[in-house]
Amino acid sequence: MSGNSPKRQGERGFSLLLVVFSVTAFWQSYAISGFTGLSTAGVFPMLASATMIAAAVCILVESLLESHDAHADVTVDQKSMQSVLPMRLVIMVLLITGYLVAMPAIGFLLSSAAFLLASFSYLWRKPFLVSLLITVVSVASVYIIFRKLFQVVLPNGSLIQGLF
Amino acid sequence: MGEIVSNLSMVWTDPWLLFLTAIGTLAGIYVGAIPGLSVTMATSILISFTFKWPVNDALALIAGIFMGGVYGGSRTAILLNIPGAPSAIATAIEGYPMAKRGDAGEAIGLTTVMSVIGGFVGIFALAMFAPVISSFAIMFNSRDYLLLGLIGILLVGTLSGESFAKGAFAGALGVLIGMVGLDPMTAEGRFTFGNVSMMGGIPYVAAMIGFFGVAEALVQLHQLDVAVVRQRVDRIVPKLRDVKRYLGLALRASGIGTIIGALPGTGGDIAALLAYDHAKRSTSNPEVPFGEGCKEGLVAPEAANNAAVGGAYIPMLTLGIPGDAVTAVIIGALFIHGLKPGPLLLVETPHLFWFIVGALSLANICLLIFGLTGIRIFTKIVECPKGVLIPLIIVLSAVGTYAIQNNPVHIYWMLLFGIIGYFMKMYGFQVGPVILGVILGPMMDSNYRRAMLGARGDMGTFFWNFVSHPITLVLSIALVAMLLSQTPLMRWFNRWRTARQRR
Repeated sequence: MSGNSPKRQGERGFSLLLVVFSVTAFWQSYAISGFTGLSTAGVFPMLASATMIAAAVCILVESLLESHDAHADVTVDQKSMQSVLPMRLVIMVLLITGYLVAMPAIGFLLSSAAFLLASFSYLWRKPFLVSLLITVVSVASVYIIFRKLFQVVLPNGSLIQGLF
Repeated sequence: MGEIVSNLSMVWTDPWLLFLTAIGTLAGIYVGAIPGLSVTMATSILISFTFKWPVNDALALIAGIFMGGVYGGSRTAILLNIPGAPSAIATAIEGYPMAKRGDAGEAIGLTTVMSVIGGFVGIFALAMFAPVISSFAIMFNSRDYLLLGLIGILLVGTLSGESFAKGAFAGALGVLIGMVGLDPMTAEGRFTFGNVSMMGGIPYVAAMIGFFGVAEALVQLHQLDVAVVRQRVDRIVPKLRDVKRYLGLALRASGIGTIIGALPGTGGDIAALLAYDHAKRSTSNPEVPFGEGCKEGLVAPEAANNAAVGGAYIPMLTLGIPGDAVTAVIIGALFIHGLKPGPLLLVETPHLFWFIVGALSLANICLLIFGLTGIRIFTKIVECPKGVLIPLIIVLSAVGTYAIQNNPVHIYWMLLFGIIGYFMKMYGFQVGPVILGVILGPMMDSNYRRAMLGARGDMGTFFWNFVSHPITLVLSIALVAMLLSQTPLMRWFNRWRTARQRR
């Protein structure tokens, strides 16, 4: 799914973020047991984060060289920025976050139904009743298959306990 | 011997296990076929429901999902020109032109039969070689396991990603995620930030479902409006003449698939591409040119990718090293069921090994039955709009993550890993090495420290041990060769060599 397009807007920023993250990870790894021995708890995390720093620096250099070669075209870059972070994605992530935060409070059934209805209506754009029908069928199937057949425990909801 | 036979046949004789394997295979075929749902995603979500089951039930379902999932990708490759899984890329090259000619049914029938043949070759190899490798692997020491882990992560990282640096970063990030929590040797906290809930470590099922389920669903948001082209499907059962004609090629491709599957870090996708290449080179006069619907090019990758399933179980069960991302997920499931994949698995629990072999064989038979039937319903299900599919994946991911320990915090981890995974995918990183790192990281850490303690903390002795033991030396050379082949040094050397040859 990654595609082969070498230049995506924000790639340099992302690479820089990786370097910063890797350095922080190294610092945290060092904090575990310092350089007190070669078989302490912190050695392997330090090795892993050092590998991350080296790799992240290489990735950053690669991305800097790529854009330098290409004389980055603003309009193309704006387009690819949209392709990395389209509005649809932002809205879906917000919906998912809302769903996952609401789930422990109002329970699996209600939160899933609300989430599915909202996202079907947003992504699928069919008449409301169709979305509602698919939502009911989906939630009922998930409930029957997983709760009844597979005996999976689903969040009950602390606010309306016992109801759903 | 009698015990082996009874364990082999257990899944065939117990109606519940038979049902689970069949349902797993069916689910695997459909999930593997729906573009946007990968085998890894299906395995990680579905396996999370089996954690509280008896181990045999779980193993039967897993065998079915894996076998069906690897095959399922071929159907969409043929019908829609969208490989349902990376292992079906080569299938799309030949299968879709066949479908456009009106031979979709024939293509599906042939791939089904060849997949089943490939599957049996892989299972046969598993049954024959795993006990041998296992008895050999008992001689492996901690250094060898450290090297095997490194080789596995690097192979997945380098063979499937955009660049070596990205593969290495993803693998190392996985190792770091696997380190979070209390150190099992000294009980020191690592990356816990004084938080009690972090002391148990990051739940790796949340990481798996996040990286493979949620991240993939988010990436799919980009392809919401891809139109689907329908194909006519008629005769499905392939002609006996065709099966006989391509049997030799299928067996050779299965051999390739088994070996590639058995190598740590390489799975069905690479096996399929190599087998396709083999078919191209070994077929001198194809009826139809390659790329235009050549049956040889369809048979070889399909036989190989299903043979790789049996192959991938070999390092997983004998060494505890997953062969690819799917087996990394399965190995996580085995750990949760209290099994210890590794050389002792066959010594301590031989009945489970033979049970797995039996389950895979049954799954392969189910594949033949389901593969040759139900195409009409299939085309309807595969056309399920993404706008419906994506929210459903999210709900199933949440249920799967919550199911393991009933802890709502795990679903937040899942979302976090999903978002990280999305950006990684968008910027050309593979998430497979991350999961391999999460699974193999703690194993590599403890083996590294054991090896270092064995060398009494002396760096010189530690490195000397890597060249003074034959098995370790072979593995070290393999690792160094892999690393060198990825460095600019190698590129310069190649450029220098070609320049010299030209002169």
